[in-house]
Amino acid sequence: MIQLFHIYKNFGANIALNDINLRVHEGEFVFVTGPSGAGKTTLLRLIFGAERPAGGHILINGINLSRISRTRLDLLRRKIGFVFQDFKLLTNRTVFQNVSLALEVTGERRSFIRKKTRQALKLVGLVEKEKAFPLQLSGGEQQRVAIARAIVKDPLILLADEPTGNLDPELTKDIMVLFRSIHMKGTTVVVATHSRELLAGTAQRTVFLNRGRIVGEE
Amino acid sequence: MSPRLWPYFLKQAIWNMIKNRGVHALGLGTMVASLLIFGAFLLLFVNLDTWLRGWEHALSMTVYLDDGISNAQRNKVASMIKRIPGARIKRFISKADALEELRDALGPQSGLLDGLSTNPLPASFEVVFKGPEVAKTLSSQAMEKLKKTPGVEEVQFTREWQQRFDALMRMVRLVGFIIGGLLCLGVLFIVANTIKLAIYSRKDEIEILKLVGATDWFVKVPFLLEGLIQGILGGALSLLTLFLAYLLLATKKMQLLSFPILNFTFLPSEYVIALLIVSVLLGLVGSFIAVGRFFEL
Repeated sequence: MIQLFHIYKNFGANIALNDINLRVHEGEFVFVTGPSGAGKTTLLRLIFGAERPAGGHILINGINLSRISRTRLDLLRRKIGFVFQDFKLLTNRTVFQNVSLALEVTGERRSFIRKKTRQALKLVGLVEKEKAFPLQLSGGEQQRVAIARAIVKDPLILLADEPTGNLDPELTKDIMVLFRSIHMKGTTVVVATHSRELLAGTAQRTVFLNRGRIVGEE
Repeated sequence: MSPRLWPYFLKQAIWNMIKNRGVHALGLGTMVASLLIFGAFLLLFVNLDTWLRGWEHALSMTVYLDDGISNAQRNKVASMIKRIPGARIKRFISKADALEELRDALGPQSGLLDGLSTNPLPASFEVVFKGPEVAKTLSSQAMEKLKKTPGVEEVQFTREWQQRFDALMRMVRLVGFIIGGLLCLGVLFIVANTIKLAIYSRKDEIEILKLVGATDWFVKVPFLLEGLIQGILGGALSLLTLFLAYLLLATKKMQLLSFPILNFTFLPSEYVIALLIVSVLLGLVGSFIAVGRFFEL
């Protein structure tokens, strides 16, 4: 499903990723962890195609990201949900509009978009707040809007970058329950986190990153 | 691209124009002003051209005769005129008729003529031509021959004036092209910058759209529609303003300036359509330039 072969990435003189080799199977739930600056976000952005590697190859479902056109990459992104650390919500659009945006771009029918958006909002428990604007919500609620937007298109892969970074332990637990239920439906989930609490007691595969290198796996 | 997306694009374009109404109003205002200048120039050109053509149709030649001309000489002059291709004697004006016409023309001031002991006005032949083209081709040799004919005092022909008017119209046309071209470039620049500002004001939104899988065209189309709408509005508003100004001028000012003889008309429909098409194209091309540059970054 996700294959990374000898991936290098640098930002100027700063090497972000150094010879990364990773394989995530279909339907797998993987944590990527490490200290700040280890390269977790860069790794996720490379898988998403938001960054191009300086060297190596990334294959998503057998498609080599460095060899596809910009348009095909856009279409591939429709199969990948991304939960950003800073949510990336449009503050001038309602919760409903933010979530439905992921389907609007595909040109789906209005009725289908409405139905799927309501389903996603129900899953994250925000149906009552569909008319609210992001800045009227708490951090946890905004995070759940971002998750709803990522899952509304039934992605094959869900990438989440520090999804619980701004949340208290109770909300963190809720979000993780949400991710597990999405995973149970067959979605491949990759979560980048530096939170020890999140990893404590988890049975999921965990990849350890440090200074741009994979330093261990559990 | 799915046809289902077009209502979304249109909604986005209109909504974005409302949101950035300040920038769009400024751009639209400048566009209307530029197109208005161009339209006014076009209106002036069209009317000048119409007036000149009307004047061309009224081309005539007047052959003034010596006071002591004999009947035989007069008949000879008349037959010489008739021999000019396309020329026709409209009428013969005797000395007495000429004085009478002048008296009529002077109206209340005709008393001025009472002090004249003799009639100073010459008799004349008024000659008209079948068409302006015939008059244009009248050779100067034929004119000179007529002038030298005994009994002919003077031949008055407006060809030189006509040639000067032709040259003037060529100049007006050239200036029109230059002004039009410069204004079009200006409008293009204005539209491109308005759309560029609109793009920059929605940079975050574009980033998020791209992150959720929007293609470049999905992002570009609403901006292109904004340019198109601006082009339509710019063209329509400038034409409307021009028409209102024309109504005002044609009905009031021209009469005040004692120009009722000049038939001042509005732009013909083909010019109106052409101006609208140019305006729409400028809007579209301007926005194409803006989105092209932005997405290259």
